[in-house]
Amino acid sequence: MAETLLDIAMMHSDSLIARAREGDKSAQGKLVQLWYKRIYNFSYKFFFDHDLAMEVSQKTFISMHKNLGGLQEIGRFKSWIYTIAVNYCREEARKRKTNRALSLDDLKPGEGEESYRWEESHHRRENPDRQLRHGELSDLLQQCLMELSVEQREVVIMKEYEGLKFREIAETLNVSENTVKSRMYYGLDGLKKILERRNITKETIGYEL
Amino acid sequence: MNYKPDEGMLMAYLYGELTATEAEKVQLYLQQHPEVLKKLQGLGELRTVISHIQDQEVIAPPLFMDDANVKPLWQSNYFKTVMSIAASLLFLMVAGKFLGTEISYSNGELAINFSGKKEPVKEIVQPSLTEEKVKEMIQNSLASNNEVITSNWTEDQKRLSQSIRQNLDQNSKKIDALMKGAADASQAQVRGFVASLQNENLKLMKDYFQLSTADQKKYTEGLLVDFSEYLKEQRRQDLMILQTRVNSIEKNTDQFKQETEQILASIISTPVGKTKNSY
Repeated sequence: MAETLLDIAMMHSDSLIARAREGDKSAQGKLVQLWYKRIYNFSYKFFFDHDLAMEVSQKTFISMHKNLGGLQEIGRFKSWIYTIAVNYCREEARKRKTNRALSLDDLKPGEGEESYRWEESHHRRENPDRQLRHGELSDLLQQCLMELSVEQREVVIMKEYEGLKFREIAETLNVSENTVKSRMYYGLDGLKKILERRNITKETIGYEL
Repeated sequence: MNYKPDEGMLMAYLYGELTATEAEKVQLYLQQHPEVLKKLQGLGELRTVISHIQDQEVIAPPLFMDDANVKPLWQSNYFKTVMSIAASLLFLMVAGKFLGTEISYSNGELAINFSGKKEPVKEIVQPSLTEEKVKEMIQNSLASNNEVITSNWTEDQKRLSQSIRQNLDQNSKKIDALMKGAADASQAQVRGFVASLQNENLKLMKDYFQLSTADQKKYTEGLLVDFSEYLKEQRRQDLMILQTRVNSIEKNTDQFKQETEQILASIISTPVGKTKNSY
């Protein structure tokens, strides 16, 4: 995962976290700006749903604002904020399981440019055809990811897309490092089988793109 | 090589989270086990495929958060505690006012009054004796006391001297009477006493001699018997010695007789010429 300026800023935000912990409003605002995209994308990959991802993100940052004063070690901020996000994701997943309500978009997502995701895509100004194919592949892979169990999915997302170390994931989920590695192994293995079943391989992707 | 990395170790290898030595070990294992290597390569390819899931662009919405941590003064716990104490005190004061309760403290006395006002009763004690009078009374009592003590003391002294004199007279009279009694009864008593002593001594001596002569008799008799026994035994032993001596002498004479007979017989039987030494 290529490091952007945002990632670098996130890695060196200790003083910002310290100030936010002391109650500095501006520092808290900056922290939200820094981490919002990561928490939103984690939640989005977890649910494959924009609204739920937005809800979880907002709840996560409201909780951060309320409880940041209780954070003991600044160095553990990353795992701390992901813990909040994971807890809200699980909570929403439980709610979703009980009342299986679907949005109208989910009922009829549409194809190509009719898809609401096409409208949301910021890459649409680039080569539209190519970007659409990229978006479709991303959605397809995301659907495969959704077939994993919650435990495996959250570990795969945190490791593969959020770039957390196994130790950090273990801290976030409050489980042992070996459990995390084991979940990762079986998650990847399961995902491989799902992709094979859908005939998605490195070669077919290369051909499509 | 028995080393076999578990799934966790393989995952850590895949994501480059192993130390150099651990990674080397796993690498060596993978060289020897191509099937595991193939599996791991498959997972690596999978990672490349799933990396095509794009990050969604999102703009952080403004979050309006009321500062719930800052409470107004009247909502703080401290304020509530202080106010509750003050209210309790006020209630007590009002209740006390209506019930006519009074609490007063004076001269080390705490007084709680539940029924209307009541002035503390102050007892005014008029001093009936002045200091001079008290002194005079003390002096008078001391003087009278001293007089009583001195009179008692002189009376006691007189009584004591009288009783001592009486005792001395009585004792001297008694001693005189005793001395007189002793002088009158001395001669007859002494004679009687000496006579009785002599008699007792005689009796004792007699008994002693009687007993001692009987014992001596027995002893000398025993001694004589023992001595005669001893003499008899000695005689018997001497006789036995003599007997043995005589017997030995007899033996010797017999032997000597035999020897002389033999010698004589040999002399007689031996020719004269042959008595010469053969050397």
